[in-house]
Amino acid sequence: MIKYKEGEKVRLVIIGNSAAGLSAAKTIRKYDQKSEITIISKEEGLAYSRVLLPYVLREKVDYNNIFIKDKAYYEENAITYIEDEVVALDTLEKLITVNKGQAIRYDKLLIATGSHAVTPPIEGLNGSGIYHMWTKNDLDDLLPLFNQKKSVAIIGSGFVSLQAAWAAKCRGLEVSIIEIADRVMPNVLDKKGSEVMANHIVDSGLSLYTSMITEKVERQEDSSFKLHLKNRQPLVVDFVIVGAGVKSNISFIQNSNIVYDRAILVNEKMETNIKDVYAAGDVAAGPTVFGDKHMTHALWPTAVEMGEIAGANMIGKQRRYQGSLNMNVTQMYGVTVASMGIFDDEQIDGSYEFPMDQYKGYIKLCYKNSLIVGACIIGESESVKLLGKLRPIIKKGLRIDCDPEKIESYIDIQAFQNRY
Amino acid sequence: MKIITMDTTKCVGCRNCELACAYMNSNTSCERTYSKIRVNHYIDEQTLIPLTCLHCEEAWCLNVCPAAAISRDENTGAVIIDSDKCAGCKMCILACPYGNIQFDEKDLVSTKCNLCEGNPRCVGHCVGAALNYEDVESFNERARKKVDRKIMDAIKHQCKSMEVENDK
Ligand SMILES: Cc1cc2nc3c(=O)[nH]c(=O)nc-3n(C[C@H](O)[C@H](O)[C@H](O)COP(=O)(O)OP(=O)(O)OC[C@H]3O[C@@H](n4cnc5c(N)ncnc54)[C@H](O)[C@@H]3O)c2cc1C
Ligand code: SF4
Repeated sequence: MIKYKEGEKVRLVIIGNSAAGLSAAKTIRKYDQKSEITIISKEEGLAYSRVLLPYVLREKVDYNNIFIKDKAYYEENAITYIEDEVVALDTLEKLITVNKGQAIRYDKLLIATGSHAVTPPIEGLNGSGIYHMWTKNDLDDLLPLFNQKKSVAIIGSGFVSLQAAWAAKCRGLEVSIIEIADRVMPNVLDKKGSEVMANHIVDSGLSLYTSMITEKVERQEDSSFKLHLKNRQPLVVDFVIVGAGVKSNISFIQNSNIVYDRAILVNEKMETNIKDVYAAGDVAAGPTVFGDKHMTHALWPTAVEMGEIAGANMIGKQRRYQGSLNMNVTQMYGVTVASMGIFDDEQIDGSYEFPMDQYKGYIKLCYKNSLIVGACIIGESESVKLLGKLRPIIKKGLRIDCDPEKIESYIDIQAFQNRY
Repeated sequence: MKIITMDTTKCVGCRNCELACAYMNSNTSCERTYSKIRVNHYIDEQTLIPLTCLHCEEAWCLNVCPAAAISRDENTGAVIIDSDKCAGCKMCILACPYGNIQFDEKDLVSTKCNLCEGNPRCVGHCVGAALNYEDVESFNERARKKVDRKIMDAIKHQCKSMEVENDK
């Protein structure tokens, strides 16, 4: 723990008021009531959850439910909140330059600034009528359109894009999904899973174009858009949502000596190469359970875990991260889709597919060197429990000595025996 | 804090606990789908295990919930889900290592054991005294003793086999 001199207060500053930053603050306050905590965020209003944005678009969740902390929380936990944009960082002077207010001094700093959505270099793919689905502002822009407009094209078919597309479909819009790769959700599903998912999408009445290159986007006089597709008839839609990947928010560290690649490189204590500067969440690349040194998942649970480790180490608790394990889940197109760990067909050396009737859906276990390293699910809620039970096993790299079809019973009994 | 503990040697598999829980939660039906406790039959292993939330001290479901819908009840210490806040994203189901969160397919939200505000109905209706509502510490103490005994047995066993070795 931090040793205090008489009357001394350590200034802990967190840039970012979301999953990683808030998890760090919570961890710090769990052990330490004395340090000064300051959270800086450039987004206006209360902290909110990005994960819930598609659920609001779909009208599954009330707009007010996206907020995850109220004002009182900061007062109760003696956290100073500053709404401003960090524009530069001086790690020698330990000084943060913000856009509007006075520079902010820190003793220890956590960078938890997340990521932003990027736009691929397609002619005409910018300006009004072209949207992302990444922030609350994006949601505010999209909500009225979902009420007024009739058709939308979604460029990209990742996890978030497909949720946006499903929301649009649920709200009665005509939806076209354009994916440059040869399959949907390559970061969440294996090849067969992508096929299964594609069928659900098409069966739900959406148009899906894979291996499709958008050459140009042309704004028409009636303010609709004509998408020129390679070797295909153009597509005319009222507006476009672009979901073609994300980039870490690191512009303000360009003149510091913090080492980054696509994201800030951190070790298992969430330390950057600069003393007293930590990073966590989408902005950081840290260790995984599979031994990768620097990986960014851009996932909520990873951000929460990294934030917790960073917070603990900022107050001198020696906490080391066991490494992140990617996991994803949602319900869309009438099915529950979930995955965890490694499932890419090229990266595994064995797999087991459960009979369709056992869990009522497509469920695949993935193996490498005889260890379970991942799994995918397209099916029912109940099967998500299996993934939950596999998580500690994948994390610890435990060997399972049973037939794969009996794995759930095996884990249940083992877990019970270990406890009792 | 108190939690529901299970003694599998006493469980007779009557599923009274499931019925009581289902009725408590639905107010209308004893159907198993409403129950937050599940008695699993492991036929090959000839084992019955009633499973429900352990209200973990480091509850991963609570930490990970992206809707801030899961919290700890101040009075009972139970890990509870606010169904008004739950978005139904299922991240908690993915997070629980024991499969102790259920999904309500009607309201499309996650649900789980909430310890019935300190009076768990499953325990009250357990005919075999397999379920108990007891202090975590005394439970842990007992579990530790059991482990100690296992270790002692193992050592004794080892010593015996060493004696045999020495006799040779
Ligand atoms: C629509 C959508 C759906 C998603 N669904 C899922 C899902 O189902 N499951 C899942 O695991 N993940 C999902 N994610 C990803 C998940 O939301 C992110 O991984 C998570 O929010 C990362 O948290 P973070 O704290 O690292 O960063 P963020 O949540 O991005 O927060 C960044 C914070 O930094 C602040 N900030 C940024 N730059 C500056 C600056 N220069 N100065 C001051 N403050 C700054 C921002 O205001 C914000 O408070 C989804 C994301 C989106 C957008
Ligand atoms: S639901 Fe699972 S993770 Fe959450 S407290 Fe209960 S047992 Fe622990």
